[in-house]
Amino acid sequence: MSEPVVITGAGVITSIGAGFEEFSSALFDCRVGMTSSEVIDFGDDLQAITCEVEDFSPQRWLGPKGIRVLDRSARLLAVAAQLCLDSVERVPPDSNEGDPDLGLVCGTIFGSIHSIASFDWSGLEDGVKYVNPMAFPNTVINSPAGQAAIRHKLGGVNSTISAGLASGLIAIQYATDFLRLGRARMLLAGGVEEIAEESYLGFRKNGLLSSSQHPRPFLEERDGVILGEGSALLALELKQTAVGRGATPLAEVAGVGSSQDARRIDGFSLNAVGAERAIREALRTADIGPQQVGGIISSASGSHGGDFMELEALRRVFGDNLAGIPISCPKASCGETLGAAGAIGAAAALAAVQRREIPPTAGTEDHPQDLSLRSTPQPLTGDNVLVTAFSCEGSNAAVVLR
Amino acid sequence: MRRIVITGLGMVTPVGSGKEAFWEAVTSGTNGIAPVRSFDTSEFPVSLGAEVKDFDPRDHVRKQPPQQLGRASQMAVAAGHMAIKDARIELEGLDSNRIGVSMGTTSGEPLFVEQYNDARKAGGFDSIPGEIFPKYPCHVIPGNVAIEFGCRGPSLMIPTACAAGNYAIGYAYDLLRIGRTDLMLAGGADAFSRITYMGFARLGAIAPERCQPFDKNRKGMVPGEGAAVLILEPLESALARQANIYAEILGYGVSCDAHHMTAAHPEGAGAMRAMAAALKESGVAREQVDYISAHGTGTPTNDRVESLAARRLFGELAERIPMSSIKSMIGHTMGAASAIEAACCALALSTGVIPPTINYEEADPECDLDYVPNQARRTEPRIVLNNAYAFGGNNAALCLARWEG
Repeated sequence: MSEPVVITGAGVITSIGAGFEEFSSALFDCRVGMTSSEVIDFGDDLQAITCEVEDFSPQRWLGPKGIRVLDRSARLLAVAAQLCLDSVERVPPDSNEGDPDLGLVCGTIFGSIHSIASFDWSGLEDGVKYVNPMAFPNTVINSPAGQAAIRHKLGGVNSTISAGLASGLIAIQYATDFLRLGRARMLLAGGVEEIAEESYLGFRKNGLLSSSQHPRPFLEERDGVILGEGSALLALELKQTAVGRGATPLAEVAGVGSSQDARRIDGFSLNAVGAERAIREALRTADIGPQQVGGIISSASGSHGGDFMELEALRRVFGDNLAGIPISCPKASCGETLGAAGAIGAAAALAAVQRREIPPTAGTEDHPQDLSLRSTPQPLTGDNVLVTAFSCEGSNAAVVLR
Repeated sequence: MRRIVITGLGMVTPVGSGKEAFWEAVTSGTNGIAPVRSFDTSEFPVSLGAEVKDFDPRDHVRKQPPQQLGRASQMAVAAGHMAIKDARIELEGLDSNRIGVSMGTTSGEPLFVEQYNDARKAGGFDSIPGEIFPKYPCHVIPGNVAIEFGCRGPSLMIPTACAAGNYAIGYAYDLLRIGRTDLMLAGGADAFSRITYMGFARLGAIAPERCQPFDKNRKGMVPGEGAAVLILEPLESALARQANIYAEILGYGVSCDAHHMTAAHPEGAGAMRAMAAALKESGVAREQVDYISAHGTGTPTNDRVESLAARRLFGELAERIPMSSIKSMIGHTMGAASAIEAACCALALSTGVIPPTINYEEADPECDLDYVPNQARRTEPRIVLNNAYAFGGNNAALCLARWEG
């Protein structure tokens, strides 16, 4: 048996709230973070609707200094890290050296995409000689993680993980491995994604955005996603470490599973074979059967292919019992937060474990009959909560919390 | 936990592709650095780059139309084919659910960002083609490798900039060791990009004439491109199939300076911690290390700090541990660099020869170690460290050992 890994804290910033408590309350109140975007402006008539952090003011959590050099992704991640470190009552080290036993594992798809594209754009528009060299460091995909490490003196492993929409959960899996292998005392693990014109335009041009501006996960009439942003980090440590320092574990990361469809990079594998395998592996490593799952936090987003694939996988794993398992789709509230989505899902699952209820899902009329999807909270039917994160490029991940 | 060995090597580099061509080039001191061809450098104060020449994706990519893939993916797939062939392994006979892919990169597929901006400049947002978007995110690199070879186990990209190759190989080693997979394709890939080039040029970090790591007159690094894929498998399965074993992976160490986004910690604190962690995890004493594959970019700061870190960790022992940088020949291939260098370490262990640092002329009092100047050397190394440092203050050191049979 491998040493249990537990969650001892969480930091979350999303369009529905900042801080784990505010986020949980908003989720259980069925709030939806949709708004007219302040970030995106193509100069055309189409107003972008996103789930973005409105009037985002990182100074509220980070203080006035050193914000300017951080781009939007780095700010979101730095805030989530601050909230997460506060939740475990970490005292920052006096010295200038980073804490070698405290690290960060951050899932993301696009990283600092707007910094990357803007840097190149400046070369085209202003000429190479006028490009600001100080903007270059933000053009690596791991810049949010690097900036957060500097800000919070995180001297241990600093990994960025890109596995599509599964990034946030794969980051949690990676962190549990690192803890068990003795490479860190505590890891902040999760993900970040910013609303940016570049990613938004890609979703728009490929017809992936909800034209009705209403994400309806699993519903027959769903017509696409609403893009979201945010960051969620869980403080993970071995149970013995947590107990040793007198901390109270909030939940256990009981099982993890991942797979790759290896079929295409631009669409979900509708046969759901890989998704099913990831779920089964998560259950197996949690040492439970499907009947012991007391609730599901789903990655369904309103996407045609993604929701179809996930429903197919869930039906195969849970069979006729699926209708009896409460299920929730946080993307109906927070939007499709891409590389952060798995981590936000895990934070939602943590809230579910603590309250012993599955959060409601916004706009859930006419859902498939074999799904227990509701606009009100539903009690857990067991101790284990399954979190899924499936990606259109073939990565699949599932985690069991309890 | 299981012991893990390297049994296949494939690489696409500015000095040659495939194990034989690459090894011949780096042991004979071949310079792969030349004036940049892929874009106009007339606006830049520098003009050198380390590009991969004569690479035709149609020779390598089979499962998808080659031109559909970004350049980094194309090179990664090519390196994968070379590695699998080199390992003499038939993937068809294996459980594809137990084969994983772990890759590293700095920029992923940045040429699609360039296309985005070129189209935007020419005709506004409306003229940007929709099909470039799904090809851009860096997760497509392991995704395309997985598609090409039908790998259905865990797959991920670890984009930890210029240390990414070591991070990716390290985690592949972890996944095998803890028994989650039975075979891993691990490495790194990066495509030559004007974004990267402009960045380093604006930082004043690019060498004007040649790359001279550790030399007193070194003037900078030279951006490059390339890919490497290593085949990793448990010792048991390698022995069972009588595979050629290049090296055993003993362990690795990672750290973050948490100091500055681009500048190394002035005393090399993080670099030292990564090396120390790698030795500790590997159960190797400092006296046992007989070669260090340096990060050795050729910038004044990197080479000074790396030398200092080695001296601080190894003390006087540092003077008798040869430490060379193949970046003097192949340039800085970014996220591919430490993967190519790990393959190079595996070849050094299996052949007994260590590659030189070329263009080395004048000793620098601040870099006072043995950098294997200009000539490859037969030293029969048994244990080597592969260093990699990156933007974000990331450090990673991988420890490999000769397979004694």
